[in-house]
Amino acid sequence: MNIDVADLTRRFGRNQAVAGVDLEAGAGVFGLLGPNGAGKTSLLRMMATVIPPTSGRLRLLGRDPGASDERREIRRRLGYLPQNLGYYPGFTVVEFIEYFALLKDMPPARVSRAVATAVERVDLGDKARAKLRTLSGGMLRRVGIAQAIVNEPELLLLDEPTAGLDPEQRVTFRELLRDFGERATVVVSTHLVEDVGAACSEVALMDRGKIVFLGTPEELRVQGESNGVGDSPLERGYSAVLAGARS
Amino acid sequence: MRLHLESRRVPAALVLMAACGAVFQGVLRWPGSHGSLQIPLIIEAAAAAIVAVTTHSPFGESERATGRWLPYLRGGAAAGLTTASFAALLAGAVGANLLGGTEALLRDVAGMAGVGLLSAAALGGWLSWIGPMAYLALAEEALSSGWHTPWTWPARPPGDLGGALCAALVFFAGLAVVAIRGARAIGRE
Repeated sequence: MNIDVADLTRRFGRNQAVAGVDLEAGAGVFGLLGPNGAGKTSLLRMMATVIPPTSGRLRLLGRDPGASDERREIRRRLGYLPQNLGYYPGFTVVEFIEYFALLKDMPPARVSRAVATAVERVDLGDKARAKLRTLSGGMLRRVGIAQAIVNEPELLLLDEPTAGLDPEQRVTFRELLRDFGERATVVVSTHLVEDVGAACSEVALMDRGKIVFLGTPEELRVQGESNGVGDSPLERGYSAVLAGARS
Repeated sequence: MRLHLESRRVPAALVLMAACGAVFQGVLRWPGSHGSLQIPLIIEAAAAAIVAVTTHSPFGESERATGRWLPYLRGGAAAGLTTASFAALLAGAVGANLLGGTEALLRDVAGMAGVGLLSAAALGGWLSWIGPMAYLALAEEALSSGWHTPWTWPARPPGDLGGALCAALVFFAGLAVVAIRGARAIGRE
């Protein structure tokens, strides 16, 4: 299992953002759904090794992120797109992705080829030499995705990756996710149930720090057949599970 | 290294340090500052503040989730810029009467850069200038009131071992914290 989580919690002061999560995931695309404040981003940040858990067990790629040497190995094999991407506006697209490739310990001889591949995968070839300050929000999101995939990660964590993408780009992006899911574990945190339906093999629904549903998108659809509200079968499943968890 | 330094706005910092050196030269030659330790100390604190502010990372969490090079890059940049600030001020002091000499200049610049680096770890890169400025106020008070504690090293004589040790301790502590943890990220990126 690339992700092995048991009874994981995370507190911020009095607020319990993640309240005892159990989760296992191997290769494939794993969707993380839930309302605002459900704990999706906190769970993803722990998996990205940027914040430690308050308690519980977290093992990533068979390693313990609490140990500094193992954490380094995890980070070399990790791709992470945070909810809000930070960037230096004076960098070009290529410079930005190259910087992350080097930070992720890629051999310098392989960097330029890997950067070019990542840029092509997010369809930014014609903007490769453009400064980041000149790009639109959707393009910046794609640059963020490119830095996350440049090292061919074994564990790819994406927080709201399709925010700002137009429908055509979202379709292309889902293909990219499915492609990565064949050889890596991809975790996608999103509000958009259609992304989950189109790209994910497994989905977890979080509410108030806990996982209240774990199964396939089809199983989530079935949950909404009798009493869910929404415009699509998945939305109905989503709302039915949430209503059941809160009742 | 080039991309890291550029993202930390190090080229702009070097220009500002050169300007600090020029102002330092002017201050040391200004008749009104002859024999004064207070006025040169302001320039030294400004140079230390520049070192501290360059610890700000524009990349946030995506950079923190990367491999083993980041601590070396952060530490190298901070140590290199401290050396550059000392060199700029030393060049500014050429041909002028530098009270305390080179030793005291190195002690004061390194110590205040350390204060700035610790301040970056506590307050974040953008606000890290507050540390050297607060220390400047303290040091000015120490100079005018004749304090003897080695922690206010600018008020100590140039050859004073206690002052030098305190300044070195603060510098290396700041360097280690910034290299290992980086400047504090304020809010969530």
